[in-house]
Amino acid sequence: MNEIGKSARDAIDAIQSGYEQLGYVSDEQIATALFLAQTLEKPLLVEGPPGVGKTELAKATASFLGLDMIRLQCYEGLDEAKALYEWQYGKQLLYTQVLKEKLGDLMQGANTLDESMGRLNDFEDVFFSEQFLQSRPLLQALRADEGVVLLIDEIDKSDDEFEAFLLEILSDYQISIPELGTIKAKKPPLVFLTSNNTREIGDALKRRCLHLYIAFPDAPRENAILQARVPELDNKLRTHIVDFVQAVRQMDLKKPPAVSETIDWARAIVLLNMQVLDADFVRNTLNVLLKFKSDIDNVETEVTRLLRETESAAAR
Amino acid sequence: MIADFIRILRAADVRVSPAEAIDAVAVIEAIGLQDRSLLKHALSHSLAKTEAEKFAFDECFESYFVPPREQPPQAEQPSDTNDEAPADEQSEAAAEDDQAGDEENLDQQGLPAGGGEASAADGPPASLTQMIETNDQAALQAAMAEAASAAGVQEARLFTQQGMFSRRIIEAMGLDDLDASIRQARDGGDAERAEKLQQGRAQLFEDIHDFVERQIAMRTKNAGRLLREGALSRIRLSNLDRSDMNIMRNLIRKLAKRLASRHSRRRRKAQRGMLDVRQTLRRNLSFDGALFNLAWRRTKVERPKLIVLCDVSGSVAAVSRFFLMFLYSLDEVMPRTRSFVFSNRAGEISDMMREGDVEQVMEQALRAYGGGSTDYGQAMQDLAEAVLDKVDHRTTLMILGDARSNFGDPGHKVLKEFHERARRVIWLNPEPEATWNGGDSEMKRLGAYCTQVQVCHSIRHVERVLDDLLRQSV
Repeated sequence: MNEIGKSARDAIDAIQSGYEQLGYVSDEQIATALFLAQTLEKPLLVEGPPGVGKTELAKATASFLGLDMIRLQCYEGLDEAKALYEWQYGKQLLYTQVLKEKLGDLMQGANTLDESMGRLNDFEDVFFSEQFLQSRPLLQALRADEGVVLLIDEIDKSDDEFEAFLLEILSDYQISIPELGTIKAKKPPLVFLTSNNTREIGDALKRRCLHLYIAFPDAPRENAILQARVPELDNKLRTHIVDFVQAVRQMDLKKPPAVSETIDWARAIVLLNMQVLDADFVRNTLNVLLKFKSDIDNVETEVTRLLRETESAAAR
Repeated sequence: MIADFIRILRAADVRVSPAEAIDAVAVIEAIGLQDRSLLKHALSHSLAKTEAEKFAFDECFESYFVPPREQPPQAEQPSDTNDEAPADEQSEAAAEDDQAGDEENLDQQGLPAGGGEASAADGPPASLTQMIETNDQAALQAAMAEAASAAGVQEARLFTQQGMFSRRIIEAMGLDDLDASIRQARDGGDAERAEKLQQGRAQLFEDIHDFVERQIAMRTKNAGRLLREGALSRIRLSNLDRSDMNIMRNLIRKLAKRLASRHSRRRRKAQRGMLDVRQTLRRNLSFDGALFNLAWRRTKVERPKLIVLCDVSGSVAAVSRFFLMFLYSLDEVMPRTRSFVFSNRAGEISDMMREGDVEQVMEQALRAYGGGSTDYGQAMQDLAEAVLDKVDHRTTLMILGDARSNFGDPGHKVLKEFHERARRVIWLNPEPEATWNGGDSEMKRLGAYCTQVQVCHSIRHVERVLDDLLRQSV
């Protein structure tokens, strides 16, 4: 038991520092989730508000593990033809045309309808072979030799049917194609599913996944993220930015600013070569941070107060 | 232990399926039990699958896997006699985490197998004295856990049982033996030892008491709420206590979600129909009869267009409040609802409802439109001015009110117009049927122009009414 615990701890620490080198600031919870996903070969369902780095996590994992990443963006109406595989009808038709003569030759000598049918039957499989199979992200992920990171992004945007369809892949890492049979993954891909919770994910899917909830980061972690992403900022200004954003998040907003928006804002500040946050500047650039008119209006009136409060905190 | 922990999670409203329980065991195998925070994160990933569940999980975890009590100073005495104590426990470097791990480790072995593995819990009666003397907290905890499961603490549900279970546990741990030792020590003139044992005994009693209390609290946290929810869904809404508001709100959300998911699925299924042979043939005449362009029979599912008029005066207000709350929880399946409230004048609150918190909106609405004496005639007139021209054969009009018009105009003429144009007019009356038509109630006259008149004074009723509505709207 002791060794297991130790090695698990080591592995998790290694993951955490690995992420850090790639500029993704994780925490123990995230690292644990990844460790479990790897060890148990289970998909990982990542939930959280938009812009906290769910997709980024998958990307960072792919480069951390040195694997390719295959991404499947979900949307309403996504079906298996687009997610899994499709027959290349065009190619099939073209080949039939080109091979018409050849077919004619083959048919020659077949006197009865039955006989020709029989001969045709022998060739039917040619047209439904892997040659004509257009693989889509899911199939690609299963057929990859080295194992890949498969990111199924925004699963909540897809339909219930698609979710149900994913179940086979997620639990057994295999799929059934009627014409070809069952295809099993050579090496189970590391699957990430992300969701913004626009709708509740079905229990069946949740049951098969490990579940990771990423919330908005606290001030120290956000600070670390900014440091990794926008290294040009000096310490004091960065702390101030983080404190300000954290304070804004406390307000009653339609859409509180996410980490990605903080980063954008910090970049804007660097770009405009600002040394301190002053009220006018903040007011002018609020649209980077907030995406709703009513939110901007709300915060605009409070900017001076927030800046004063956070400034004194940062100075301390 | 895991099974027991999962039972507690379930009691706290975290849904854990057997498959997830298996996962949890696999997780523990992968991660070990040494590291408390790691264990917590890992189990949380595999067992709690929504934000709310994570929160509940954290609470359960904290109270189930209690970090060990700070060792009192005398524990520093070398405890060589106790060879089971893991070596690293004595080393200064051992962090508190490690100790927590050890304790859980023992805990686990103690509970289910009953000392199947060689643990400190072996032969508890003989060693209780010893354990107290050496102050071996881990062993004590393990013995306690084992005794607890033997005493059936898992079944404890009532606080009145606390004393009984504490007693049972300590007896199972070998109280007689301990008492004998104390007596022996005292008789033998070893007052110091007796004193120490006595102290240990008192401490043990306290620990066991805490332990049982915690166990009961964990297991009953939810039972009470479930019972309450069951009762609340049947209670008359006007008799509702303010303190139950919160439970009620959650209950409504839950019911609404169930309803919404049931009906949204049905709607989607109905969208795809069977092959329409006649249509197909007709459409393909231009292709010389080759069936080229297939036509499918589509089942058209209509979302109900709903207009709601709610009385917010006096006694009906409570029912209206919850009715509206319920209705707007269903926004997903009934997005085109327009709602009006009235007491003497009617006013629309649809947009307010959609944007704000229902509670707040109700307060505002009550202030704006409530207060006056009920005037059905005027309210109907207002409603007709606002929406009568929008009412068509797809519209359902729902009126929630007691139909008591203070002997004024009940507005039945306007209602008649609505009845002629709308698909359905449903009247919901929060009064029991027996009191209809008594006094100033105009239920009879108004009821004549309704497709349906129903009693509606509890959440059950509201749910049934809305369910019917969604069902019929296909």
